Amino acid sequence: MNTPLMHYLVWPLVKFLIAFIIVQVLVAAMNWIERRLLGLFQARLGPNRVGYKGLLQIIADPVKFLLKEDIVPASAEKVAYFLGPILPLIPAFIVFCLIPFGPPPTFTVTRVNVGLLLILALTSTGVYGIILGGWASNNKYSLMGGLRSAAQMVSYEVPFGLSIVGVLMICGSLDLVTIVRYQETNAWNFLPQIVACFIFLVAMNAENNRTPFDLPEAESELVAGYHTEYSAMKFAFFMLAEFSMMIVNSCLMVTLFFGGWTLGMFGIGLTTDVLRHMGMFGGILGTLIFVTKVMLFMLIYVWFRATFPRFRFDQLMDLGWKWMIPLALGNIFVTAIFILAGQERLMYWIGIVSIGLAAMYLFKPKPKRAAAPGKVAHAS
Amino acid sequence: MQVEYAKAKWSEKFLVLDLLEGLKTTLRELFKPKVTIRYPEERMEPADRFRGMFKFSYDRCIACKLCAVACPIDIIYIDVHDEIIQEGEKKKKVKVLDRYDIDVKRCMFCSLCEEACPTKPKSIWLTTKTYELATYDRNDLYFNMQELEYWDDRPKFTGLPEDDDVKRIKGQKQIAGGTE
Repeated sequence: MNTPLMHYLVWPLVKFLIAFIIVQVLVAAMNWIERRLLGLFQARLGPNRVGYKGLLQIIADPVKFLLKEDIVPASAEKVAYFLGPILPLIPAFIVFCLIPFGPPPTFTVTRVNVGLLLILALTSTGVYGIILGGWASNNKYSLMGGLRSAAQMVSYEVPFGLSIVGVLMICGSLDLVTIVRYQETNAWNFLPQIVACFIFLVAMNAENNRTPFDLPEAESELVAGYHTEYSAMKFAFFMLAEFSMMIVNSCLMVTLFFGGWTLGMFGIGLTTDVLRHMGMFGGILGTLIFVTKVMLFMLIYVWFRATFPRFRFDQLMDLGWKWMIPLALGNIFVTAIFILAGQERLMYWIGIVSIGLAAMYLFKPKPKRAAAPGKVAHAS
Repeated sequence: MQVEYAKAKWSEKFLVLDLLEGLKTTLRELFKPKVTIRYPEERMEPADRFRGMFKFSYDRCIACKLCAVACPIDIIYIDVHDEIIQEGEKKKKVKVLDRYDIDVKRCMFCSLCEEACPTKPKSIWLTTKTYELATYDRNDLYFNMQELEYWDDRPKFTGLPEDDDVKRIKGQKQIAGGTE
């Protein structure tokens, strides 16, 4: 049974299919979770009519997309118009081959020693579909959306990549499995690399065109942006690609900064060895831990969407080029100094102290709001 | 026009503490109870002075037509005839209502008819706490005397095509009138 064919083709395919189906279910569920949660954030209830608590919305939405009329603009560039929604899907799906969902070798589809590089290369091609679709629709709004998306992707690909460099320097590998194995023996990377973690979080929101950065689909300016002319299943494909990419980026976040499938630091807790000791159950447990962490980051996406207003375009570019890139470069510099000095463990304190300070700021008792100085002067 | 913005402190600009504050606010909002009323299952109780559907009492009405006079858009139609009733030895002339119609579709719910009514308690009043007055046919909103008095069990949606939607709505207990 253990022929090369089985080892290199059949088993990876089976694993990929399982991962793919789970991810697609998650994507469909995310559609409901996002709308529901956004409702709860905004003091309303969200979709709660279809099935128990609106859970059947997960099925109802795709069915509706399938049954809708598929309208193609008469003046659209037909081939590019059809390619538009499909192109972003392909990299989003291929990437799931490369992400380690659980302890290897059973719960990873493939183990590529330059996995991270490959993922970065693949995910950045997703923007082609958006540009192509925006251009092919023969609509000013769509074109504007596509162009904005391109500019934004180019701007934020840089801090996105640079923020990962710090992690690479610490772990010394581009292999995602090695990075996770490093994190379980040392601390999770968000402690020494808190700045990189923050930059990654911002950049991944920008990469996915999520709300503080959703200029490509800014409703108040561009109708719906690059998918203005898309309807029915083609529109659904755009949504599918967007949510898949969100999941991919959450997976990357968890793998790079939050210890992947493990639940332990400094070799204590549920590390890979402990999970392997438990056999199949341990593997499934590890995968569950991974999925839980990923879902937490998906919720953070929604949380951000509920909280932050949209940037202006020049503000977006300012943030990307003037703040994020220098910050990422500075982070690499500081990390390099610590590594040269051989004091990597000292960097944990940066993370611990900054998290502590943020918590102190958030939970400090509020001083009573003083009257506005202008008003006081007027009264006297 | 150049707009001067209040300058943020350097620390506020560089650190993202205000963003954290915003996240905290929305998170607090997430766990607050929601005020949404899930309408068909839950119904709002209107205030005591809420002006809803008319209710009419034939027994109390003395057929004085004051409400029709008070009505600013003249949608109350009253017909009266006199009847002579033998009461002991005296013959008494009594007004009897033939018609008391209100064209509710034109009504603006100003409640002036209720104010004008001289009987105590009022024989026409709007404080019924009803708001489900929508109908499929505008003529359904022309109410005659019996309907005004007994609209609690007024048959609804007569003469409409029997499609599934209407059947489903008919299956529900009560559409127009009366909070439950």
